Amino acid sequence: MTQSVQRELDGNDEQQQLSLGTAAARNLATTTKTPPQMQGITTRWLLRVLPWVQVGGGTYRVNRRMRHTSGNGRVAFGNIGEDVQIVAPTLAELPALRGITDPDLLQTIAGQFTQATYQPGDTIAQQDQAANQLILIAHGKVNTTRPGKYGDLTSIATLADGDHLGQAMLNNADTTWPYTATAMTPVITLALSRERLDRLVAAHPELADSIRDHAVSAAADQNEHGEAGINLAAGHVGEHTLDGTYVDYELSPREYELSIAQTILRVHSRVADLYNQPHNQTENQLRLTVEALRERQEHELVNNPEFGLLHNADLSQRIPTRSGPPTPDDMDDLLAAVWKDPACLLAHPKTIAAFGRECSKRGIYPQGIDLNGHKVPAWRGVPLLPCNKIPVADNHTSSVLAMRVGEQNQGVVGLHQVGLPDEYEPGLSVRFMNINEQAIISYLVTAYYSAAILVPDALGVLEHVELGRGDD
Amino acid sequence: MTSATEAETETEEAQQLSLGTAAARNLATTSKTPPQMQAVTPRWLLRVLPWVDVAGGTYRVNRRLTYPVGTGKVSFSVTGDDIRVVPPTLAELPALRVVTDPGVLEAIAGRFDQGSYEPGDTIARHGDAANQLILIAHGKVSTTKPGKYGDDANLGTLTDGDHLGHTILAGDATWPHTAVALTRTLTLHLTRESFDRLVAAHPELASAIDDHTSGDKPDQNKHGEASIDLTAGHEGEQLITGTFVDYELRPREYDLSIAQTVLRIHSRVADLYNQPHNQTENQLRLTVQALRERQEHELLNNPHFGLLHNADLGQRIPTRSGPPTPDDMDNLVSRRRKTQFLLAHPKAIAAFGRECTGRGLYPDEVDLNGRRVRAWRGIPLLPCDKIPISDDHTTSVIAMRTGEDDHGVVGLHQVGLPDEYEPGLSVRFMNISEQAILSYLVTAYYSVAVLVPDALGVLEHVEIGR
Repeated sequence: MTQSVQRELDGNDEQQQLSLGTAAARNLATTTKTPPQMQGITTRWLLRVLPWVQVGGGTYRVNRRMRHTSGNGRVAFGNIGEDVQIVAPTLAELPALRGITDPDLLQTIAGQFTQATYQPGDTIAQQDQAANQLILIAHGKVNTTRPGKYGDLTSIATLADGDHLGQAMLNNADTTWPYTATAMTPVITLALSRERLDRLVAAHPELADSIRDHAVSAAADQNEHGEAGINLAAGHVGEHTLDGTYVDYELSPREYELSIAQTILRVHSRVADLYNQPHNQTENQLRLTVEALRERQEHELVNNPEFGLLHNADLSQRIPTRSGPPTPDDMDDLLAAVWKDPACLLAHPKTIAAFGRECSKRGIYPQGIDLNGHKVPAWRGVPLLPCNKIPVADNHTSSVLAMRVGEQNQGVVGLHQVGLPDEYEPGLSVRFMNINEQAIISYLVTAYYSAAILVPDALGVLEHVELGRGDD
Repeated sequence: MTSATEAETETEEAQQLSLGTAAARNLATTSKTPPQMQAVTPRWLLRVLPWVDVAGGTYRVNRRLTYPVGTGKVSFSVTGDDIRVVPPTLAELPALRVVTDPGVLEAIAGRFDQGSYEPGDTIARHGDAANQLILIAHGKVSTTKPGKYGDDANLGTLTDGDHLGHTILAGDATWPHTAVALTRTLTLHLTRESFDRLVAAHPELASAIDDHTSGDKPDQNKHGEASIDLTAGHEGEQLITGTFVDYELRPREYDLSIAQTVLRIHSRVADLYNQPHNQTENQLRLTVQALRERQEHELLNNPHFGLLHNADLGQRIPTRSGPPTPDDMDNLVSRRRKTQFLLAHPKAIAAFGRECTGRGLYPDEVDLNGRRVRAWRGIPLLPCDKIPISDDHTTSVIAMRTGEDDHGVVGLHQVGLPDEYEPGLSVRFMNISEQAILSYLVTAYYSVAVLVPDALGVLEHVEIGR
């Protein structure tokens, strides 16, 4: 190559050009042109794995069995410098305080909590000692342990930001801690002592009522998921009198309305009319706009505060990582939370890389599997799909989603409506609007979508996954 | 949604120009799901069991004549720090099997002394004189024996209710193995001397021991089955032994058990509110789901026929260390030919996954009925949340061979019930009460039988939190 270039240089300088140059030749040739390319297109696995349900009337109602106890909520915190404070209305997320509607009372209760900090390894609560405070974890991770059957320590659970300990002490003055709670990271807690609670209860009958109501509903006939019991008799002999039963439903079931992503695509009529060889201009404008809408649709399905999967997961289905990085053990825990036929795991590509590091460090190599003709990574036979819409927070933490899909399996379903007027793709319509006086043609491009979780245990989220670790 | 809120705020400023969605919804039909229920599980046990039709309501398992061996487990009652053996369970010890007088057993139970060992303590040493009977009340003990080339060979782990040195009841002996406490272990001891004194005081006990030692034992194979006499490898005109195969005279019979409820529906609900979902059908569907869940629960936990209670004592093995390790699973699988399924609580499966990962192992999955399921040594490891987790965070893992042809575990039901709704489940209309409530009797009949004891194995004391 160098030689030929040299020869050209020599030739041009010294000799007359003997034939037609490429620069001139190009003027006679047709350039092969790609259609416009776009970097923002991803594989959109979420949209592909979700089964899409037709919602004819624009609204989808999820009927469920009646639940007595709704899942434990999370308390939110704000801080001014070192001083951590409870966002008072979120205190009502504690099951025992659910009945309190008076914001002033919640504010009063929030004011009675005292702040404490613990270093890693510090004991926050000691098993069998009197449980005389309600502890909220404002920040940090806490491990709860208990001696096992043969004396070794057994770990029960990891608790993280917003979880609480010692809820039982609200109902019963003489309880002891059923486990030992140890700080795994620096931990900030807010605690409400028994004495202060008693004073509050004495002063505010509404609080006493709420705590009593909770005790009553916790004692009601229900299964482990909090669903109202179906009375059965089993294994009886003789002429046993049978209980009658019926299955109660939730009285105000959740309704999902189709959400929307919309834009107005403008094409100048001169462009649309003339410059159409070899690529149709309108079609390409439309194609890229639709790709962008679909990307946004996936983003909304994950992140929308009302129906997005990350925000809609049941709190009992959110588990923190054990140590920080996404280890195989954490993934096993996540699959144990969504154990009834999990269909897929979704994670940010960086999370998948971090998980790969953790696997390699332990000397294991999970087998990939075949999904719709694509070879994808998998864990325990469940495909682990990349989705860059799952946010990576500023502190380099992310989440992993595990889900069961399909209406038949009581899983997660996507909602859309097919048969829209001027439908372009299922659930997406392109309607001609007008041509304005600057000769610009406008098209209204609309996608309608939503996602519904049919029963809470269809979706699990592994939270606080640290991405930057694992190099140590 | 943000755009919707924006649009709404705009309307405060500008007049709304067209019909809003809230108003339009009143004209539209909402898509409604049938009622969802969280308690529905995959019910793998019901899916993998082959179901046998029991036309007469009773299923009799005929087996070869088996001589009871009585290596059963002893039970203990604990009052504070004081541990006592429950006297009637002492009859589970082979030498005491024929002792029927509760007074004698009571007297023996009173002679035990309590002992305790720390992890690593030696309880008995191979070759030393065995001068006491040791019952393990709580804890794990590993037994070893010097191997052929001097290394210790592991003979297994003993745990709560097991015993060491029952041979001393029958006469002098040396310890056949070394026993070392793996955890803090509480034991009960009966020394040779106090036992001799008991024998002197209770002639019935002496004759029982005599019976046991004199060894008028019928011919039997290692499973305790009456042997089939054969002649093999003979030459010449040897007289060939005649034989017959003896059967158990009182074979075990399994009656179909029952799960039942009365489903009530108000006739007004059943008559009117049936679009798009039939109300009766949905009430019935969820009730049937609840019955099937209960059925699976009973198949595992029923004290009469539940698999966890029905496993042969020789097929119950404790974990070696506590968590479910690959070694424990290998041990469990090795106890029978053709293990087809492993069943464990999802949390136990997660714990097993951790143990594998800790050893750098990644077991392959296998395909079962078109689904990828986890497996160990190619045997599907199926989740089942009906296997109980005790308060101290321990659970069990079940291994089984299934099918009548393989002498395995079979599910029992009856098809062709009157008003059958699904195989083995009937829905019968009862009446309409004077409050206009329709009642349906929903009944499931089921049971499960273990044809040969080794078809079912249980890994016990699996700690899931370590």
